[in-house]
Amino acid sequence: METTELIEGKDISVERAGEEERKLEFKNIRCASCGICEQICPVSAIEVNPTGAMARTEQDISKIEIDEYKCVLCGMCSCICPFDALDLQINGKSIKTMEGYPKLIKSAEINDDVCIYCKACETACPPDAITIARLLPDRAKLVSGEIEIDKETCVDCGICEEMCPADAITLQHKSPTSDDPTVSSDINVDIDKCVYCLICKKVCPVDAIKAVCRICSYGEYDINPEDSNVVGYSNIDDELCVNCGWCQEICPVDAAKVNKPFEGELTIDQDTCQACETCVMVCPCNVLSFPKSEKSGSIPEKLHKDEKYCIYCGACQRSCPVDAITVERTKINSTPIRSKSWQRAFDSLKN
Amino acid sequence: MSLGLKVYPELCHGCGNCVVACPVNALRSVEIAAGKGPSEDVDIIMMVDDGTIQLKNADLCGKCGTCVESCPVNAITLEESPLHWRNY
Repeated sequence: METTELIEGKDISVERAGEEERKLEFKNIRCASCGICEQICPVSAIEVNPTGAMARTEQDISKIEIDEYKCVLCGMCSCICPFDALDLQINGKSIKTMEGYPKLIKSAEINDDVCIYCKACETACPPDAITIARLLPDRAKLVSGEIEIDKETCVDCGICEEMCPADAITLQHKSPTSDDPTVSSDINVDIDKCVYCLICKKVCPVDAIKAVCRICSYGEYDINPEDSNVVGYSNIDDELCVNCGWCQEICPVDAAKVNKPFEGELTIDQDTCQACETCVMVCPCNVLSFPKSEKSGSIPEKLHKDEKYCIYCGACQRSCPVDAITVERTKINSTPIRSKSWQRAFDSLKN
Repeated sequence: MSLGLKVYPELCHGCGNCVVACPVNALRSVEIAAGKGPSEDVDIIMMVDDGTIQLKNADLCGKCGTCVESCPVNAITLEESPLHWRNY
């Protein structure tokens, strides 16, 4: 049986045809160089390149190397990778879709019935996996009033045009001629833009503007509440999502729900840490940051963590040059593991 | 590990950024952590010797890339080491 290894850019595929066709695919862009695949590989066929160096320096090489002569295409790496950077296919079908193989239980969902499309999750999502598309209501339907400019009284000073916060007033500025000694040929209000704030009326030096806000005088009787609805939809790109939980934690209306693949504990030795920032740059989940000093003279902790966002992949521990970080995995959330050897391999990743 | 620390003394300006940026050096010497060269005899990864960068104990390197980022003239890199090439 012949094994072939194909490297396309930084992506790798290892293939072997026998009774069944097996193919292991590695997508470099999804990889966080966390080292879990290297740890679980039963034949030491995978070498993960230095985590810090891969994140901090420009490298032409892939984040991992697979020795095609050692790889037995068993698929353990594919089933454990929390980033789905590795995928083993048998006869063209991913083993992650097969019942016989364990699959990490991880997911992230946004409930559009609850979502108010505030975009906090989109801004916070570390791998930019979330898109929130929203359609804002028609502003003209949320205001009610009347405005009229007495063009005979108007002296074309342009003060209302300059001050209008909604850019609703436009003058047709021009240079005066002996035939037409005016500085503007016309002045108009765009009713679709006007919000009846009455600033123009207040600021007009010659009281040429008559305006009234009907809502201020009579309430919102002629406003349809449905016209103020923001409509939209959310999307999480599963290929990019790392199930970190940022969307769930930052959502003000609890519209996002995340299930994480691993549980555990992250410990930082603040005395050993030299604040080199490698872990901060490496972490795919934005768990780590340098805190600001609260007031002059106070010394904050060197490195701050919030495990709400942690998936215990271990990339930070692997990247730390002074061993100041320990990641302990206590639980792997997966579908049932049928084989004892696979169970042992999965258990070996726990502390 | 296929990536190793490499220095290019011919490019080095001797600024010492890498020496003090290196977290391993800083942990081993409080003087380096404070931004100076070490006066005591301590094992550190690299130091500026006679005006240019010299690797002293490359085996201590944790390959985090902090020094590479701190160098203004690309005189220190993490690149594929000869050991790796032997596999081919």
